[in-house]
Amino acid sequence: MAASAARRAVALRTNIRRPVAFVRKIPWTAASSELREHFSQFGHVRKCTVPFDKETGFHRGMGWIQFSSEEELHNALQQENHVIDGVKLHVQAQKPKALQGDQTSDEERDF
Amino acid sequence: MAALLRPARWLLRAGAAPHLPLSLRLLAGGPRRPHAAFCPHAARAGRVAGALLSQARLYAIAAEKKNYLQEEATSSHRRNTSQFDWALMRLDNSVRRTGRIPKTLLQKVFDNTCHSGSRGGNQALLLLRSCGSLLPELKLSERTEFAHRIWDKLQKLGTVYDVSHYNALLKVYLQNEYKFSPTDFLEKMEKANIQPNRVTYQRLIAAYCNMGDIEGASKILGFMKTKDLPVTEAVFSALVTGHARAGDMENAENILTVMKEAGIEPGPDTYLALLNAYAEKGDIDHVKQTLEKVEKSDLYLMDRDILQIIFSFSKAGYPQYVSEILEKITYERRYIPDTMNLILLLVTEKLEDTALQILLACPISREDSLSDFGSFFLRHCVTMNTPAEKLKDYCKKLKEAQMHTSPFQFTLHCALLAKKMDLAKALMKALKEEGFPIRTHYFWPLLVGHQKEKNVQGIVEVLKEMHEIGVTPDQETYINYVFPCFDSVKSVRAILQENGCLHEDSIFSQAELRIEAVNGNLDYILSFLESNTLPLSFASLRGSLILGFRRSMNINLWSKITKLLYKDGRYCQEPPGPTEAVGYFLYNLIDSMSDSEVQAKEEHLRQYFHQLMEMNVKIPENIYRGIRNLLDSYHVPELIKDVNMLVEREKTDSRKTTQPTSSDLESKLEKLKAENQPIGDVLKQLILMLCSEENMHKALELKAKYESDMVIGGYASLINLCCRHDNAEEALNLKREFDRLDSSAVLDTSKYVRLVKVLGKHGKLQDAINILKEMKEKDVLIKDATVLSFFHILNGAALRGETETVKQLHEAIVTLGLAKPSTTLSSPLVTLYLEKDDLPTALEVTIDCYKKYKILPRIHDVLCKLIEKGETDLIQKAMDFVSQEQGEMTMLYDLFFAFLQTGNYKEAKKIIETPGIRARPTRLQWFCDRCIASNQVETLEKLVELTQKLFECDRDQLYYSLLKLYKVNGDWQRADAVWNKMQEENIIPRGRTLRLLAEILRNSNQEVPFDVPELWYEDEKHSLTSSPSPVEVSLQKELLNACHRKKDKDAFNIFLKAKKQNVVFNSETYASLINLLLMKDNPTQAVQVKDFAETHIKGFTLNDAANSRLIITQVRRDYLKDALTTLKTALDLEQIPSRIAVTRLIQACALKGDTESIQDIQKLVNGLEDSIGLSRMVFINNIALAQIKNSNIDGAIENIENMLTSGNQTMELQYFGLAYLFRKVIEERLEPALEKISIMAERLANQFAIYKPVTDLFLQLVDAGKVDDARALLQAPTVKSLLELIPELTEKEEAYTSIMKSYVLDSDVASAKALYENLTAKDVKLNDLFLKRYAVLLKNAGESVPFTEPPESFEFYAKQLKESKENPL
Repeated sequence: MAASAARRAVALRTNIRRPVAFVRKIPWTAASSELREHFSQFGHVRKCTVPFDKETGFHRGMGWIQFSSEEELHNALQQENHVIDGVKLHVQAQKPKALQGDQTSDEERDF
Repeated sequence: MAALLRPARWLLRAGAAPHLPLSLRLLAGGPRRPHAAFCPHAARAGRVAGALLSQARLYAIAAEKKNYLQEEATSSHRRNTSQFDWALMRLDNSVRRTGRIPKTLLQKVFDNTCHSGSRGGNQALLLLRSCGSLLPELKLSERTEFAHRIWDKLQKLGTVYDVSHYNALLKVYLQNEYKFSPTDFLEKMEKANIQPNRVTYQRLIAAYCNMGDIEGASKILGFMKTKDLPVTEAVFSALVTGHARAGDMENAENILTVMKEAGIEPGPDTYLALLNAYAEKGDIDHVKQTLEKVEKSDLYLMDRDILQIIFSFSKAGYPQYVSEILEKITYERRYIPDTMNLILLLVTEKLEDTALQILLACPISREDSLSDFGSFFLRHCVTMNTPAEKLKDYCKKLKEAQMHTSPFQFTLHCALLAKKMDLAKALMKALKEEGFPIRTHYFWPLLVGHQKEKNVQGIVEVLKEMHEIGVTPDQETYINYVFPCFDSVKSVRAILQENGCLHEDSIFSQAELRIEAVNGNLDYILSFLESNTLPLSFASLRGSLILGFRRSMNINLWSKITKLLYKDGRYCQEPPGPTEAVGYFLYNLIDSMSDSEVQAKEEHLRQYFHQLMEMNVKIPENIYRGIRNLLDSYHVPELIKDVNMLVEREKTDSRKTTQPTSSDLESKLEKLKAENQPIGDVLKQLILMLCSEENMHKALELKAKYESDMVIGGYASLINLCCRHDNAEEALNLKREFDRLDSSAVLDTSKYVRLVKVLGKHGKLQDAINILKEMKEKDVLIKDATVLSFFHILNGAALRGETETVKQLHEAIVTLGLAKPSTTLSSPLVTLYLEKDDLPTALEVTIDCYKKYKILPRIHDVLCKLIEKGETDLIQKAMDFVSQEQGEMTMLYDLFFAFLQTGNYKEAKKIIETPGIRARPTRLQWFCDRCIASNQVETLEKLVELTQKLFECDRDQLYYSLLKLYKVNGDWQRADAVWNKMQEENIIPRGRTLRLLAEILRNSNQEVPFDVPELWYEDEKHSLTSSPSPVEVSLQKELLNACHRKKDKDAFNIFLKAKKQNVVFNSETYASLINLLLMKDNPTQAVQVKDFAETHIKGFTLNDAANSRLIITQVRRDYLKDALTTLKTALDLEQIPSRIAVTRLIQACALKGDTESIQDIQKLVNGLEDSIGLSRMVFINNIALAQIKNSNIDGAIENIENMLTSGNQTMELQYFGLAYLFRKVIEERLEPALEKISIMAERLANQFAIYKPVTDLFLQLVDAGKVDDARALLQAPTVKSLLELIPELTEKEEAYTSIMKSYVLDSDVASAKALYENLTAKDVKLNDLFLKRYAVLLKNAGESVPFTEPPESFEFYAKQLKESKENPL
């Protein structure tokens, strides 16, 4: 009983919001290095993942770019067209998985 | 389905209408034409499909009603219905969107239909209808084969065919130009006792005509006439084709006249038959003439018709006329799918050049350069093995025509998908020539193909190919695609070298390293890193290393590797340097773990951090903060202080001057204070910083110093800090101060919860409840996590057996409405008694919960225990209650699960076979999840087995759960058995079940024997959470049980067993065991457990009480050094050891004459004396005693005299009690010392008027029975003067009793009388010994006794007095 409750808690774990872009429709010819190269024009790319399906040897056309800051992510999202190898990518901000609760901490208040 | 079924149906009814309106003709498109390659009515299909779908649904509902009582059929039928809907929808969608059906889709629907329970006629029809022109990508012969396969298979499976099926088959024959004998076909129908209908005859005529057999056609036609069946346009059109194919164009042309005579006006179909006939002859002129004729009439040929003429020309070998006909095409948008289908068909027929010609003629808008057209063509060319040279040419042309932006890449993609190595090679070369880069991952699909077959030679070839084309395999290539093909990584290097395809040794080595890391082979990593000479970036290794760390829990290796990377010049010496790199690594390590994983491995991590600290590994402050946030969000704030030790403090980061250090802030604070400026902000900042540095002591000191300048934020942070350090007292004080500062201020929810936890843990129940009340009053946000925390607080207390805490806190939480009394939240109430094995109460509490809150917490566990203990009456009671309150079914399920859980399968079977019981999906799922969570394979298997015949049981769901458990255990054999069982039970596995099964098989390198349903958006995350193994869990539980039952021997044996198996429990378990062992006075074993826990969980710490107990035990065992160490450890952890523990240690040291240790302790506890409750006299007495023991009597006396006579006295005289010292000196018979002390006491009394020592000594002497010495010390006059000087002394029981004794010994009746009167006047209560003595004295002196003489002997009262002193009430 306790174990299942604990698992539920895991599900509740709030995602720390990170500046991550979710990219779809990546052409098969491009892998993470191409993506990284493209997106580094908007800022420092901390992490770039394009997961490959080890069953097929191809990726699934999706990837994630983590920037260093929200601002850089914003830059990337501002750009209308992202084209790699002649293919237009779909870029959007990664939605946080769970809403965070109370944002202001009591430690911030001074009264 | 509409698109597929409607034409056949319509034809059945349409016999009477010889002439069709255009719209209907469109709808009926297919059947009219022998070559019809296109599916029509794309536009209408949707609407009609909708209608049919709802019809299907109606049918399903009706069937459902009918089948309701046929128990087994219902659920499976429902599923079949929905599966049919699904198949229908997919095929229909495909036809609507593209005018065709991909072969794989049809195959899938077919397989699905075969596996499903019922194969209705509709489904058969649907499948058969799809095997004709809707499959342009298949060769004609293949299509027919497919149709036959379906036909035979479904027939075997029991599908009953009717005439519609035969007609559909005929249709397929016609579309596929299949040569067959119509008479045989009729015979076949006859045998099956199916009456041919008009449609049958019509199609048979067409079949004859296609072969040019007019005679055969006439025979059927005659037959139709005798049957008085109407001859329709379709028949005439067929005859046109028939005559033409017989080579008689004249008669073909004549048919049109015949028609008109028969009163049927030739329509487009007839003209199209004629046009095709001319086209097949290559007669472009007649085609043109006929086309003109049609144009002049009011008839109208559609693009699709024109396309067919083109097909006829090219198939007959006249591609030269294609372009002329193409001009006639209007390119209506809705015919694009038809065009595409023609192109595909042409490719299938190896007429790729014509196909390209048509493709290039397509008026595709080229405005948007990003949209490509022609991919379908290229893909199909690849499938049909079009030569590479041709394909390259096509690609070029498509690119030139700007129809496709990346035809080469696309074609390469197709070639890779189809694993056509040679084509791929050619295309890559072409790409390179065109100036495109060839990337490493292009070769992965090829490697995958070989990898699956473990084809080493194939792998080697691809690697050679890569080298040839100038691509270097990267680490991913090796790790993901090369290594898996080999049995061991070690053999790879040899084989590749042998074959001369190991060109970049360093990349290979790194890949090798990473794969070993991923496999958790940390030994290898360490030795590699130690011997490595190649440049290697830590960053590239990080991900694999993290996986490796999580795979292997060998903390020593963790630390060694980390240290090596940190310290060794080869690794992270370049900027940003090792501190940053290792810090980031630690952050990533923790980030990669889930909360539950971190929670489970808390002790391991602690040990790791401690080892790193000892190795002097540092991390930057900012990364520490990131880790802290992570740990906080994982609910393991206890680890924060352990990470904090690693923070690099001395080096202030020059780049981040904005971040001042705590000492900066402190000096700033003092400066501001000195300048009399407001310090609130800086103070708060400093407090927060100290809190984040976990420096509680300093933070509290600061608070005390600047109390008046404290703000809410500082207090909030401090409270939290104290809670983290388990300091309930201080936390509570701070909370009060916080309230005084601003009674309306609100803390964060988590801080309130932590307060409640700490207060509850320390038995401050009322305070904890007050906090809860405040939460309610201030309307603090209660999140799900908060409720969960409440549960953990209660559960923790329940496991510790703190009945009152659990009850009161639960009551408060629920009545305040902070949380609903859920099953989970209330379960600790029951846990309390379950842990104590008090089953009657446990059951009572559960029932009580139902009465109060309508929930039955832990009823399952209660029942299980009752069954285990065979408590029949209680089981009956529980069952009666559940049955009455929640119904019989619930009761049956409860009982069923309890029997299952306890392994009473026979009983469980009986229960689940109760007539009338039906499936309750949520309850079944609950039990499944439970089994999965606790890894109970047998129990779950039994559940699945026993519910086989359970009414309405979702078998797939249960098997899915079972598979999930097998996956956890990596048990592919059992998973494979499930696959068979499901087939045996005739269950249609859902897609996810198949996928799961496939995953299990693949993970164990097994062949997957079925087509895995595709999933488009698959979650890539492979979580590697390693929860504690079942062995660990069960041993731990056993151990804790033994602890709760206070069975120290059992518990210790379990510990030894676990130790042998190398099982490490969590620290709480060890703490419980140690507590028990100490309580049972078994210090040797306790220390053994402690040592084990310490060596296996580095950060392992005992709590205050345990450490105190340990100290006491160690003192008793005379391990004074160890006891001192324990004390140090406890104090380092900011624990408050108990007074008695410290005192015992000091006393023991004193008796050993170990002055130094006592002084050490004095320094250690400096400042904590009050919290411990330690009197300074303890040190004074014991240091003196130690000195005396060391024969330094003079030194001791000098010290004491100095303390008492020097001006700055630290103790008030009346508290300067030396009784302990005196008693010990007497007890230990330290005669010389006693003498000197007596002198000192007298001197102090005589010269300095300090009487306390002399009084103490006197009392001790009397107590010790050294009456003479006492008398010598205190002659009666002295006593009198003493009494005068310190009158309150007489009121002390010890004093007056002793004085009376001395009077009695002196037979001093007068003094005794005076003393008695004095005391009675002051209403002092006199003890019996005193009275007895006085009475005897009076009697001996012949005087009367003014009270009743106590009747018993002296000894009796002496003993009584002594006892009462020892056990004060």
